Amino acid sequence: MDHLSFPDVTQLAVPIFIAAILVEFLWIALKGRGGRYETRDAVTSLIMGAGSVASGILLGFIAWGFFMLLWRITPLDLGASVWVIALCFVLDDLRYYWVHRFGHRIRWVWASHVNHHSSQHYNLTTALRQTWTGTFTFMMVVRAPLVLLGFHPALVLFVGGINLVYQFWIHTEAIGKMPRWFEAVMNTPSHHRAHHGRNPRYLDCNYAGVFIIWDKMFGTFVPEQESDPVDYGLVYNIASFNPLRVAFHEWLAIYRDMTQPGLTLKQRLAYAFAPPGYSHDGSRDTSATLKAKHLARTPKDLGTPGF
Amino acid sequence: MPLELLLTLVIGGITAIAVVLHLTGRSSQKVMTAAQAREAWLRQFPENHIAQLTLAEDGHAALVQLEDDTAPLGLVWSFGADTVARSLHDTKATRAKHGLHLRFADFSAPQVLLRLSAAETDAWLRQIVGADARPRAPKET
Repeated sequence: MDHLSFPDVTQLAVPIFIAAILVEFLWIALKGRGGRYETRDAVTSLIMGAGSVASGILLGFIAWGFFMLLWRITPLDLGASVWVIALCFVLDDLRYYWVHRFGHRIRWVWASHVNHHSSQHYNLTTALRQTWTGTFTFMMVVRAPLVLLGFHPALVLFVGGINLVYQFWIHTEAIGKMPRWFEAVMNTPSHHRAHHGRNPRYLDCNYAGVFIIWDKMFGTFVPEQESDPVDYGLVYNIASFNPLRVAFHEWLAIYRDMTQPGLTLKQRLAYAFAPPGYSHDGSRDTSATLKAKHLARTPKDLGTPGF
Repeated sequence: MPLELLLTLVIGGITAIAVVLHLTGRSSQKVMTAAQAREAWLRQFPENHIAQLTLAEDGHAALVQLEDDTAPLGLVWSFGADTVARSLHDTKATRAKHGLHLRFADFSAPQVLLRLSAAETDAWLRQIVGADARPRAPKET
């Protein structure tokens, strides 16, 4: 089965995204709660979203070419029955969990993902603040096993698109908690709010795309705490609404760090591939040191979720 | 989806959302009290001890001096509805028409234009230039 085509669900969802943003804003404006909107922040997020789609159109051929190469190599072909699509969706969500985790733990991948966390707001426009530089992280290799297992590349990209569309609605403060069974299995606004927190408690948690069970399995789940309201944004917030700065600031920071004089090769490589916050002289904070410093200031938090 | 339709939807959608937000007052800058400015600084640098904080008359920025007198001055300022904070180490300050123009050596925070009264501009510039001329503690290696 060489030719298989599925709709591009992220493009088809664009009108729904726009309508949902207007509805969320109207709801917040009428109720006076459930989130905040700021014009330039929202416009920056939307331009990042549009740029991400454009980058997919321009650079998508690289990942596609790679997947088709694997498809030619593999002797397996699972077809495209409903069960195969469902299995592919679940396995791709596991793939998403690990790519997302790498995105927070490897600076090279973080350079691409950081823009998604660069807003101090958390509303439906934040969901669209997506990367322009994902291709350069080479995280498409994490999808390779799916293709080699016999899932057609078109199917793999299709379920990946559904995964991204699912994650749109969880970027909101307008929804508190979903029913308990849903919170237990699925990624929800509450779980994902925690993921967007810059509070030490919430650093490096809740990487799930659709199913929160992966975080529970791999020990990265932290439930949102009423006693510790989520403070959105980056540990070190950026001060620009310019989409070019939002998209490229961390890449430039990596370049500057790697090209400092007097470093060993290991130190230069660590600036690119160690967790964000690494520094050769210990002058910066990683999420681990931020958590440790928080506990030194607030020892009562020891043993609570996230610490 | 045809590219023409996608482009129309994206450009139309962004424009509509921007207009709605602007017309409903979502473009105004945060106005801080001294306490809020202090809180905003500590949000970014929780281990710092602030010795003195000078709030701009319009409440859009504050100069921060730390108890450690070898530390550079800091600035916390309104960034849309939120705030950001930066140390003024490696910052170029020049007079602008209605205040000060600060340029940072930081791609993620390139510059900020502070609207200050003439008296504030003089005082802030004196403080920033004076702090810049102070001897610094040697950097730890």
